[in-house]
Amino acid sequence: MTHALTTALLTAPVAGPLLASAAYAARRRPARAAGGPAAWLGLLSPLTILLCGAALAVTVPAHGAATAYGRMLRADALSVWMLLAIGAVATLACAASPGYLAREDADPPTVRRYHVLVHAFLAAMSAAVLAANLGVLWTAIEATTILTAFLVGHRRTRACVEAAWKYVVICSAGIALAFLGTVLLYYAARQAGISEASALDWPALAARADRLDPAVVRLGTGLVVLGFGAKAGLAPLHAWLPDAYGQAPAPVAALMSGVLSSVAFTGLLRYKVIADAALGSGYTRVLLAGLALLTLALAAALLLGQRDHQRMLAYSSMEHMALIALGAAVGTPLAAVAVLLHILGHGLAKTVAFCASGHIVRLRGTSRIGRVRGLLAEAPALGTAFALAVIALLGLPPFALFAAELGLARAGFAAGPYCAAALAAALALVLTSFAALGIRTARMLLGPPPGGRPPVRLGAVAGLPLAAGLLGCAALGTATGPLTRLLTAAAAIIGGH
Amino acid sequence: MNVIATATVTVAGLAAAAALAGAALPPRARAVTAGVCTAALGAAALAAGTAALGGRRWSASLPGLLPPAGIHLAVDALSGLFMAVGGAVVLAVAVYGIGYAAGHGPHGIASRGAQAVLPVFALALVLVPAAASVSTFLLLWETMALTSLLLVLAGHRAGSPARQAAVRAAGIWYAAMTHLGFVLLLAGLALFAAGAGGETFAALRAGAAGMPPLARGAVFTLVAAACASKAGAVPLHPWLPRAHPEAPGNVSALMSAAMVNLGVYGIVRTGFDLLGGGPRWWWLLVLGAGALSAVYGVLQAAVASDLKRLLSYSTSENLGLALVGVGAAGLFHATGNRAAASLALAAALLHIVNHAAFKALLFCAAGSVLRATGVRDLDRMGGLRARMPATTAFFAVAALGAVALPPGNGFFGEWLLLQSMIHGLAVPGVFTAIVLPLAVAVIALSAGLAAAVFVKALGVGFFARPRSAPAAEAAESPPTMLAGMGLLAAACAALALVPGLLGDGLSRAVAAAGLADGRPLTGGALGVRLDRLAASLSPLWVACALTAALAAVSALTRLTARRRRRGNARLWDCGGGAPTARMSYTATSFAEPLQRVFDDVLAPEQDVNVTPISESAYLVERVRYQRRVPDRIEHRLYRPFLDTVTGLGRASRRLASGSVHLYLGYGFFGLVALLLALAVGA
Amino acid sequence: MNDAVYTQLLDLACGAFLLAAVVVLWLRQLASIVRVFALQGVALAAVAALLGTYDRRWEVLAVATGIGVLRAGLLPLLMRRALTALAPAPGHPYEEDVSEARETEPLVNVAASLLSAALLTLLAYAVARPLVELNPTPATRALPVGLAVVLIGFFTLVTRRRALAQVVGFLLLDNGITATAFLAASGVPLIVELGVSFDVLLAVLVLRILTTRMRAAFGGTGLDDMRELSDR
Repeated sequence: MTHALTTALLTAPVAGPLLASAAYAARRRPARAAGGPAAWLGLLSPLTILLCGAALAVTVPAHGAATAYGRMLRADALSVWMLLAIGAVATLACAASPGYLAREDADPPTVRRYHVLVHAFLAAMSAAVLAANLGVLWTAIEATTILTAFLVGHRRTRACVEAAWKYVVICSAGIALAFLGTVLLYYAARQAGISEASALDWPALAARADRLDPAVVRLGTGLVVLGFGAKAGLAPLHAWLPDAYGQAPAPVAALMSGVLSSVAFTGLLRYKVIADAALGSGYTRVLLAGLALLTLALAAALLLGQRDHQRMLAYSSMEHMALIALGAAVGTPLAAVAVLLHILGHGLAKTVAFCASGHIVRLRGTSRIGRVRGLLAEAPALGTAFALAVIALLGLPPFALFAAELGLARAGFAAGPYCAAALAAALALVLTSFAALGIRTARMLLGPPPGGRPPVRLGAVAGLPLAAGLLGCAALGTATGPLTRLLTAAAAIIGGH
Repeated sequence: MNVIATATVTVAGLAAAAALAGAALPPRARAVTAGVCTAALGAAALAAGTAALGGRRWSASLPGLLPPAGIHLAVDALSGLFMAVGGAVVLAVAVYGIGYAAGHGPHGIASRGAQAVLPVFALALVLVPAAASVSTFLLLWETMALTSLLLVLAGHRAGSPARQAAVRAAGIWYAAMTHLGFVLLLAGLALFAAGAGGETFAALRAGAAGMPPLARGAVFTLVAAACASKAGAVPLHPWLPRAHPEAPGNVSALMSAAMVNLGVYGIVRTGFDLLGGGPRWWWLLVLGAGALSAVYGVLQAAVASDLKRLLSYSTSENLGLALVGVGAAGLFHATGNRAAASLALAAALLHIVNHAAFKALLFCAAGSVLRATGVRDLDRMGGLRARMPATTAFFAVAALGAVALPPGNGFFGEWLLLQSMIHGLAVPGVFTAIVLPLAVAVIALSAGLAAAVFVKALGVGFFARPRSAPAAEAAESPPTMLAGMGLLAAACAALALVPGLLGDGLSRAVAAAGLADGRPLTGGALGVRLDRLAASLSPLWVACALTAALAAVSALTRLTARRRRRGNARLWDCGGGAPTARMSYTATSFAEPLQRVFDDVLAPEQDVNVTPISESAYLVERVRYQRRVPDRIEHRLYRPFLDTVTGLGRASRRLASGSVHLYLGYGFFGLVALLLALAVGA
Repeated sequence: MNDAVYTQLLDLACGAFLLAAVVVLWLRQLASIVRVFALQGVALAAVAALLGTYDRRWEVLAVATGIGVLRAGLLPLLMRRALTALAPAPGHPYEEDVSEARETEPLVNVAASLLSAALLTLLAYAVARPLVELNPTPATRALPVGLAVVLIGFFTLVTRRRALAQVVGFLLLDNGITATAFLAASGVPLIVELGVSFDVLLAVLVLRILTTRMRAAFGGTGLDDMRELSDR
């Protein structure tokens, strides 16, 4: 694998979306609001990410991590897995965007701003995943907050402004705490004798982590968990999530819920690797498991009385991120495989769910569950897609989330009595969320069409991304096939013991 | 070439073909093609199961599927028995289903979704006994649960709003309780895999001996609770009387005759085979749950006036009896009496086979009645014997099996069960001296009440005059439905007359479960002899003797009775005017004495509403009377819990009140708590 | 300079830094709060400059200048512009309510706020003990000040009722983190510092734009008005 090719493969996921964003920004000619081939050119940038991820998936498990620009950008197996996730989810979301913008009847400046921000957002996420320097990782994740602020506040209604404000304030506060943690880690690294150039370099830190001072690392890791956990939707800084996902455009909500939370969590995992080497795995295990159970309890409690289906999906996202955190807390190799499967499977299923939810809001004009009835009868294709997406999110076969939860349960029960107790509590809470989510979805989907309206067709353009997402999630749950080596290599990074 | 391997691969291929056919073809071809493929699937599974009962074994593993665990399959005689039963029921019900779906219009059971999902349900049903690792077992279990849920909801658009709400509620209860069972099963099996150090059943078997007793007890309790819920054992049963009635006819038959058996399979496989037996308290729990289900189920069936609800509670009762047998087998095994243990287990398995045959036929006949008349309420049926003679005959054959009297097919199984209990009294021990006579009493009580239940169902539902307009206009079912029911009736007859043919297969199944002790049953076509116990029975001779006696009595009466001319006369009506058909003896009135005897257990609710006319309180305008017999366990156990949970949900809404100060405050307190913990802990 | 002078000057700058944070808790007029925040920026730049001069690292001095320009100049300027945008136009015929320019009834009263600030400072000292013990220099001994300002900044963020006051709280939080970075390890690598500053600037710009939109949508910047998105 030549150096030039490696550099190109590592640069394209960041540069491609940036170029797309610049291209959209530079177009002064007021295009038609949406539709036409120009809108579909926007699919090129997520496809670039996906293809680069696929190419790297072939080489990285065999030859080890690929680096470029003097070790500024680095792709190990975990980065490649996340690139695949970002690429897949972004392709589905960008395929659903033109339809969304057409339905919203947006004016050209709004459309242009939407595309500029979405592609810059994709570039920031790719940078976060490919960065080798923890500071650059932090900067990229903070950049995603700023870029998505105006995507959440896309429309200028009161609810959008409120959601955007809460999102920016809470996430910025959280990310600032994460930066404090990074600073403390840098301090510990400098005191351990690591040079200034590599004191924030992740491979160097991970290799020499046993020399870091335990107390400083404990404090730093705690702050990083709180901070990146805010972005990932873990308690206690979770409360921006339902408001933001409810008000953002459906493709953006899909992107945020499907990959942004996971990218933030991957950043957290990198810090966890350092902390585990410095402190032993007990500290992060207790911290992550405690936060995960708290988040699960909150999500289950707030799902029980939920009246809005987009907020319902948001709380379901919180529940899944909590399960991912619990898997990371367990830390065994089997749990690591389950965590990675869960990340990718959840991304695909949540994208389909949010896109379908957006269609439902447009169809019925409301996102209240009580006002939506008989969806399967009125819009069969949309209802089926939504039903299958919720079935996937509930952790039922053949989708990937079933395999991930099986793996998590087996790993958790095998890891000792405290892990087993935590997992038992988590299973009980997941059962409560299952019942709440299932009841609400059933109420929305079943029954005769209201007012005897004729069936509504979804259309191939809107239906294809939904079908592709569901097929991908089911395929991942049946067999990992060509991704098996990558999955094992990535799991070895996060769950090496 | 291995028969089982070919048959299993055929099963998988046919399921895929049927699902594709159901999803892709137009309505008329859909039901026929999918039905034929599903019937072939059932036949292949029956062949595989029979081969396994004949002594063959097979195993396979597919490590590439189901990340990260892989799929492992293994078939021995015990799995073969359940595969054969499932396959036979699938075969007959698929044939029946072709005709059932044809008369239903484009929605409901004949829709694309339902026809595509039904073969997958059949596939999962048939393959669960073949699973040989924790992940495969859970995958197939959940697939079975998901597909049956989708099929239960198939009728969500039909009928009145009340009916639609009932279907939704049935689906929700079923989904929630099945998932509860799955969670318990997942916890138990994951704990087992962790303790034994491996995931495949072979690893579990090898590692079970090394686990501490507390862990083994926890594993058994969790798995038994989950499997008991699947089998409809009280108190985890509320889904059964809701889901089975609301499902379409062929789906109810599959669920009630084939799916619930897998609960018993789970308990037998885990308790006897994988864990290798256990202390007495395990089996006392199983026996207690079985006894409670048997009595409670048959009592609720006795006072039910909805035909399908009656049959569902009867399922609960019969599986309770099977669990009594399993529990007794475990008790005998724990005290060291292996002969009685293998006999009791053989009795339980035989009861399952018999129950599958007659329950499937009962549900098919009920589905037939529902399709013809549109009513499920026994009080509004009646007079169907004249208009639907074939269905009535089939129902009668199955009811004879259900009441466990000769020459029905349930008799032999109960006889075997009672034999094992009575002979087990010879085992010394305080427990057996107290528990076994109680179990025998429970079996006798349930048998007696079952007789009342099925006389009510058959008599009130099919005889007398039609009590409503739809019943008066009923037409017989189409030939495919009759063919399916005929297959089941033939199976019932075979099980009634020549059950001895199953003897060897049952012995091998019991041996595969780990209770290898010679052959408890030996026999052939003419009769059965019990090994080591002085008992034998020949059902064929019994049936012949009964038939001969009946023929002799009827011939005698016909010869000696004086011929009188028949004439028409008016019935004496007590001077009150001609009684209408509605005034005849209904199901509610038939059950009323029973309900009075068991008043404390059933606790019926009665509501009388008197509305006087507005001008004077002494003159009555309207009286409204309502009586319900609710499911008391659901009322006392589940309602308070659900109300608490709903209240908790409503109260928790305050956690997301919308105030950004509150939200930031959560983060601030989290941060301060973390820092305090670190400062104090340092 | 010799050690004693350096230590005293450093402690003076850190003390001014912490005092500015506490005074922000006390004041209610938004214009005054922004002024005090600017003073805090000057104190922060002074701390960084002292560290750079003592260690004779000129890049730290350059970064100190940059920080001074950003946090004492640019950011307060943006805040003041936002305040004037919110203020009523002069010469309006009706008497305008000027409550946009001051905090309304506080969520936590002044006495309780000051008490909390004291407690948070104590907590910061307790938490920072292992940090100080790792490398006991005069700079790291002042580390608890940075952590205290972080906690006080978060507290301000939680308890203010005006949007711009919340922004000031966020900036206090960030100042505290920068101070901690400098006191602990003489700053972070340049590229990270650049990224952080850029991010903070963009964050403030975003929050300014959102404040304007908030005024247009809600008619004011009171955060208590924004309670429509809830589960109740």
